[in-house]
Amino acid sequence: MLSILIWLPAAAALVGALIPHRRAPGLLALGGALGSLGITIALIAGYSGQRTGLTHVTNVVWIRSLGIHYSLGVDGLNLFLVAMTTFAFALAIGAASIRDWPRPRVFFALFALAESAVLGTFLAQDLALFVAFFDLMLIPFYLLLGVWGGPNRIAATLKLVIYTFAGSLLMLAAAIALAVLTSEHTGHPLSFALSTLAASPLHKGPQEWIFLLFAAAFLVKMPAFPLHGWMPDAYREMPIEVLAVFSGVLSKVGAYGFLRIVLPIMPAAAVHFQTLILLMSLASIIYGSAMAYTQTNVRLIAGYSSIAQLGFITLGIFAFAPQGAQGAVLQMVNHGIVVAPLFLIIGLIAVRAGGSEDIREMGGIAMRAPILATFFLIVAFATLAMPGSGNFVGEFLILLGLFKTKMVISVIAFTGVVMASVYALRVFIRTMHNRTGPRVQSREISVREGLALVPFLLAIALFAVYPQIQLGRSEKSVTASIVHEQALTGSTSNTLASVMRK
Amino acid sequence: MSATTDAWLVLAMPLAGMLIIALGFKKLPGRSAGWIGTVAIAASFIFALDALIKLQALAPSHRELSSTLWSIANTVGVNANATLLVDPLSVFMICVVAGVSMLIHLYSVSYLKGDEGYARFFAYLNFFVFSMLLLVLAGNFVLLIVGWAFVGAASYLLISFWYRRTTATRAGIKAFVINVVGDVGLVLGTFFIFRSSHTLDLLATFHAAPHVFAKGSGNITAGCLLLLVGAFAKSAQIPLHTWLPDAMEGPTPVSALIHAATMVTAGVYLIARMHPLFQLAPAAETVGAIGGAVTLLVAGTIGLAAVDIKRVIAYSTMSQIGYMIMGVSVGAYSAGLFHLMTHAFFKALLFMGAGSLIGAMGGNQSLDRMSGFRRALPFTFACFIIGGLALSAVPPFSGFFSKDDILAQIGSRGGWYWALYVAGYLGALLTSLYTFRMIFRAFLGDPCPEASELIEHGHLFHPAQPTNPANGEVEDTEVGFPGPDHVIAERARAMQLAMGLLALLAVLGGVVGIPKTTTWLEKFLAPTFANSTLHLNPSNTLVYVGLVLGTVIGLLGIAIAWFVWVARPGLAPAVAKRLRFLDRLFENKWYFDELIDAVVVRPAAWFGRFAQGTFERLFVNGTLIGGTTAVVRAGSAAVRSAESGFVRYYAALLVVGLTAVGLYFLIQS
Repeated sequence: MLSILIWLPAAAALVGALIPHRRAPGLLALGGALGSLGITIALIAGYSGQRTGLTHVTNVVWIRSLGIHYSLGVDGLNLFLVAMTTFAFALAIGAASIRDWPRPRVFFALFALAESAVLGTFLAQDLALFVAFFDLMLIPFYLLLGVWGGPNRIAATLKLVIYTFAGSLLMLAAAIALAVLTSEHTGHPLSFALSTLAASPLHKGPQEWIFLLFAAAFLVKMPAFPLHGWMPDAYREMPIEVLAVFSGVLSKVGAYGFLRIVLPIMPAAAVHFQTLILLMSLASIIYGSAMAYTQTNVRLIAGYSSIAQLGFITLGIFAFAPQGAQGAVLQMVNHGIVVAPLFLIIGLIAVRAGGSEDIREMGGIAMRAPILATFFLIVAFATLAMPGSGNFVGEFLILLGLFKTKMVISVIAFTGVVMASVYALRVFIRTMHNRTGPRVQSREISVREGLALVPFLLAIALFAVYPQIQLGRSEKSVTASIVHEQALTGSTSNTLASVMRK
Repeated sequence: MSATTDAWLVLAMPLAGMLIIALGFKKLPGRSAGWIGTVAIAASFIFALDALIKLQALAPSHRELSSTLWSIANTVGVNANATLLVDPLSVFMICVVAGVSMLIHLYSVSYLKGDEGYARFFAYLNFFVFSMLLLVLAGNFVLLIVGWAFVGAASYLLISFWYRRTTATRAGIKAFVINVVGDVGLVLGTFFIFRSSHTLDLLATFHAAPHVFAKGSGNITAGCLLLLVGAFAKSAQIPLHTWLPDAMEGPTPVSALIHAATMVTAGVYLIARMHPLFQLAPAAETVGAIGGAVTLLVAGTIGLAAVDIKRVIAYSTMSQIGYMIMGVSVGAYSAGLFHLMTHAFFKALLFMGAGSLIGAMGGNQSLDRMSGFRRALPFTFACFIIGGLALSAVPPFSGFFSKDDILAQIGSRGGWYWALYVAGYLGALLTSLYTFRMIFRAFLGDPCPEASELIEHGHLFHPAQPTNPANGEVEDTEVGFPGPDHVIAERARAMQLAMGLLALLAVLGGVVGIPKTTTWLEKFLAPTFANSTLHLNPSNTLVYVGLVLGTVIGLLGIAIAWFVWVARPGLAPAVAKRLRFLDRLFENKWYFDELIDAVVVRPAAWFGRFAQGTFERLFVNGTLIGGTTAVVRAGSAAVRSAESGFVRYYAALLVVGLTAVGLYFLIQS
């Protein structure tokens, strides 16, 4: 079942590429994406959250000599990330399918392949398979950016490739080292299965450098400050529908990797580097927010705001408190369903501002487009995590968890909450309100444009009122991810306390 | 139907009204959006009254009901549920909020006639009332925070309602951001309290509080001080007040709503609601009381110097909220809430009157240009006199009883609280001074051109070229205000009705709390405050002295105002010249805007520019990228010459990487 879920989009798009009709590639890619979305909805309906461990497990030997398995499974940790992926991809492909693209067959095939690879990354339960999907996921985006991107696409692609590719290499090395060292350590044959690796953790020394390699790969992918150098150019040049999923979905793979791989397998190292990662996240929040409220390019405002929001997510993960981890996973989904429509709306606004993406040349768009303005307003409020949105519940849990373990960092992180209100409203006001910009030709959103946005708004509303739908299902699996770290930090503080007492 | 069902319906009505208007804004004919909004709030008010009746039918000790519909987030020890708390305090608040809001809606039906954003206005207005009702009915910290933030968002939307004015959008974002600072205070305060109480349910927290918090301990003090940050931001208390005067950019009914029924009273409600916690944190109570006292004095002095009529009323609100905050912080809960109610009546009335004046002035709000409207707008004049007397606490108007109730209770605590008592009466003198300065300047004297136009031709003055009075920018005509068919407020039936009813309430509202005679309100609220450890019982002497003192001071202020601004017109400028320093200080609003600008806004902007211009350019682009790109450019040139695409390039690097790893292991073993 999970294999169907993963490969359906790619297969459908391949079929679509073979049918000689102008609209066929887009429609079949959309059909495949919708099919996967249907399967995930069935998965959510059938998942109770009462039991721990993986369900719908697929496990076949892939490369016997290296101990690599094609092993998939779903649990509370990845269930809603998968759902968010299929949801966002279906709508982004839908939004893309109403536009005309040069070479549509290749475009939609790559788009759908990207979805399959992302789904594989989220569902893989074997480290080698995870790495393979992770790399497979990046390739379509290199090409989508390099071929269909804006005027400076080549330079942007080059930067993206260098950064993420370096990260991939580091992760590949780390994965091999991890499996080899574990197998040496235990005397068992080589295995990449996550459960096996987690069962027999390495000594602290090797854990630490392997941790750093993984962390580098994941933090580049997110991106986190100061590893975000590829972000501005790539965001500026990428086709907006592609960017919607790239920012909404792919940035979560790194955060997910921490919870799925790093924390269960390298608990000692995670605890060792906790403060480092927390400080980096804090820097991401403050730096990303400061950039977001001084930027004038709309895409980059959204991009830097994502850096800040992913900072919150890593804060939650490295709080090593159940509330923080639950909040982080909720926030990954929330950020996905908020930032994707944000980029789609930015695309619509740019068209109305005579193609400009600079807020200095915008303004007054709301006058002729009240519905579009309302959509943007709702998304902007969700972006700044206003209480009453699902993003607020996520941030509340993250900061509460962090407050329990690292109070000072939590309190400082609250400055990011205030700054978010500044940059989110600033971009809304400068585009929608104030005097009409020089080349602004505002018009209302069309029904077809609305079709891709309305489901996002409904999802935002659902998560605003009832985030419990996810939290109830993810509690057991997510808290299991950080259980070692909790034990370790708990014991260290106890020993500290006993030392103090003496 | 139980009282809790009523409470849910109280919330459902404005929400439904907002959704109907928002979804049907294109199809709704004429003024129907306004009527839908008004009817929605009226229905809400009826359910609120029904809840009141149902609650009174219960035994006093059972008047504390809660109802949970669903879980928002119930996981890992966090219980954020959609719970409503229905007790005398929340029922009192929903009655005041829904009742006054209903009249403001009614007024707006006519006032906003002819504005392009008519339907949008009522959708926002309904949302605003919904948010405030949610805030006061919430029985869970998370739901309280949601209502709290929604109020801030709604105020942002309405303040920048005329969004083509850059002054309006700037005022809106300022209000929103300061309110977010308040939200952060509220959330952090909740964290500190949750740390010991382990629950987010309000009732459970209150029941647990005496057992888990030692009086004056760190967590509870920090928690309550942070709650106070939230209360100060929302209630515009110093130093988080600067958004309130700027909020006058919104249409006048919005000002009435913000100042009378919703929003600024939220801080007072919060302290009253959290009294079991505040009583365990005496330090926070002291800070609250002093903050309120300082605000009431400072705002009063600024009110004396302001020339914008709406700003005068706005500073008066700050000052009156200062009384309430001071009251509920020292334990005078029912007195503070009593003043909240009477203030809602007379402040809404004053703003509606101001709306009538501003309409007649073609949008201009400057007192320097107004004069002699007495004959032009007699009904408005009467409303201003009634509202002004109630605000100046002259007997038997409503404000008289509520203000003196607060001060008598403060006096009864003795000790250093006498300082607050004196501040309160000093503030009372300022109040009647600035109130009647405003009334005398606008209504007495020779009619200004706008007033004569109304008297002689019977229609409103309209500037040929409408400009934004705040900065002189030529108005975008697509913005409705001050459209050509702006109505004469006091001749439109709906507005007349709203103003008349409020005038009646401003006169009679004090009836529910005449000291030693009718203490209905105090008795009604008693069950909520039954667990209070503070029992304030002012002596008879204190009460009677207070009543006499209040009367004398109120009348004295009016007399001075008459003397300065009517009898001796040249006196005011002369005094201002003599007291140059004070005049400058008051006129510049004690330089709070400049202070916040220097301490917060400029450093933040500088940091943003630094990150943008220097750090990002030099470090991220220069060092991190420039270096790597240079290396790769060289490499890629080589690869490109081998006719490679990205995939092949990628594959090549993969091989290199694998070799490197292999080498590493060879070396290791």
